[in-house]
Amino acid sequence: MVKGAKPIMAFKKNATIGSKMFDIFNYLLITLITLATVFPLINFLSLSLSSSRAISSGEVFILPVEVNFGAYINLIKDGTLVKALKNSVVVAGCGTALNMVATILGAYPLSKKRLRGRGILLGLITFTMMFGGGLIPTFILIKQLNLIDSYWSLWLLGLISTYNMLVLKSFFEQLPPDLEESAAIDGFNDFSILVRIILPISMPAIATITLFYLVSHWNSYFNVMMYISDSNKQTVMTRLMQMIDKLKTSLLDSSELQIEMAAPESVKAAAVVFSTLPILCVYPFLQRYFVKGVMIGAIKS
Amino acid sequence: MNTNTNSTVFLKDKKSYNKKKSYIRRLWGDVARDRYLYAMLIPVVAYYAIFKYAPMYGVTIAFKNFRFADGILGSSWVGFANFQRMLRSSEFLLILKNNLLLNLYTLVFQFPAPIILAILLNEIRNKYFKKTTQSLLYIPHFISWVALGSIIMGILSPSTGSINFLLVKLFKIEPIYFMTSTFWWPIVFVLSSIWKSAGWGTIIYLAAITGINPELYEAAHIDGAGRFKCILNITIPCIRGTIAVLLILNMGHFLELGFEHIYSLQNASVRSVADVIATYVYRVGLQGMQYSYTSAIGLFQSLVGLILVLLTNFIVKKMGEGGIW
Repeated sequence: MVKGAKPIMAFKKNATIGSKMFDIFNYLLITLITLATVFPLINFLSLSLSSSRAISSGEVFILPVEVNFGAYINLIKDGTLVKALKNSVVVAGCGTALNMVATILGAYPLSKKRLRGRGILLGLITFTMMFGGGLIPTFILIKQLNLIDSYWSLWLLGLISTYNMLVLKSFFEQLPPDLEESAAIDGFNDFSILVRIILPISMPAIATITLFYLVSHWNSYFNVMMYISDSNKQTVMTRLMQMIDKLKTSLLDSSELQIEMAAPESVKAAAVVFSTLPILCVYPFLQRYFVKGVMIGAIKS
Repeated sequence: MNTNTNSTVFLKDKKSYNKKKSYIRRLWGDVARDRYLYAMLIPVVAYYAIFKYAPMYGVTIAFKNFRFADGILGSSWVGFANFQRMLRSSEFLLILKNNLLLNLYTLVFQFPAPIILAILLNEIRNKYFKKTTQSLLYIPHFISWVALGSIIMGILSPSTGSINFLLVKLFKIEPIYFMTSTFWWPIVFVLSSIWKSAGWGTIIYLAAITGINPELYEAAHIDGAGRFKCILNITIPCIRGTIAVLLILNMGHFLELGFEHIYSLQNASVRSVADVIATYVYRVGLQGMQYSYTSAIGLFQSLVGLILVLLTNFIVKKMGEGGIW
């Protein structure tokens, strides 16, 4: 982005009218797009804090009207979503830890060009990105492994994202080889080289991929719905979907139900905020890393 | 004479034997040297074998009449019967049509969105404005379809949605039933996928634009080219390679419309336009327990995806771009 800024500086010195018009138009357009992107999110946040009366009379757009925390209090009293939230923390936490171990164990050896059989392995792994058995055979496999209703089904099925592993592999490949060579002379084996030397200098890439796995576990809905039917093991997304499904029909139907609907509307908004906020809280801390990390992957692939 | 040739043959044999032996010895030496690396790969290979390649073997049930009691091996073969049933089913043809139409809309409208957005963002000079807008544009990428789906249904709701309140206030019209109208639903579908992915998608294109040699712009500026001309004649041609690679990768998932995306927006009144392969396989295959039939559909989908990747890669290469292999 720094390099990209240079040529534009050249225009800045003697900006023509056309160039200025372009700028005005561009700033306006980007502002508009950004507002359109954020508006529904802000609107929902405000809905969750507004009174039923204000919602049903259409007063809530950007700021909450008649602020109250009733919807949140209801949710916490009800308890099912809080429990699902705890389950989600377990699923996403353990899942991401397993993901990272497996991904690093795959990416590091495969980044070594001297490794015999590397080409064949990479070919077989890349092929799975383009072709797969599909939903039904996977379901049968999980059922025959007796993993239904166990979180292991979620953890094992998505153990490695091939894309993430290949990004990490490219990252390892471009590290300077001297560090490892001197460590090898000092008598370190490959495993201790990985743990003591490679991992500490790869933190930006590791942080990025950790975030990707964390987000995908947290937001995962389909696999949980497929493989976890025990209502005590529900995650936050399946619980949210259930709550919405209950309200779905009533919300889509005619406006006759308006008054009854208003209250569920703010509860629904609160549930959405409740289940989305934890992952959005992680985001600003890791943002610095992931832009870098995605770029590494982008340039390499 | 005779013994002489014999001995040379013998010598040759011995040489090649030695060569072979030394190759094996070298191979063994390399493997022994890298034993830690191979040990690390054990869980990885096991994962790919069990969770990626075993289901590929499991896809043979598309040619069988699978029952859980018989297992995959024990079920009887039926040849292409499941595929014939698929192609004759009017229900399948309808979901295929829906699937292809939604794919087409996505390709035409969603694919270019991050490219255009990245080019516009690149022209922004103010660093803080650029950073702030970028951070805000990435947010939907981190929100699940379940949550985004309910937000969309919420703001578009005819009775309590802000969009409808606005429309009614501004244009004095009746509220629009966006989610239950077969006209509006595909539009909402495509817009929602742009909403979620366009901002995040700019990262790759912005990285590609960063790599463009700034001298090109300087030269163009001296020649009197305006900003718009520079975009058309420098920026876009320079990121063509990146666009091509992403297009190929996209084609691999051509028939795969995200199940979660569709499912979170779907409802009974729009099934005639919103029912696609993924939701059909789930409903008929898992809930209706027609495993073999829907495996055949799944296999069909995977094969089309594979062929499209190969085909796009071929075309892109013919057009003079790099391709992915």
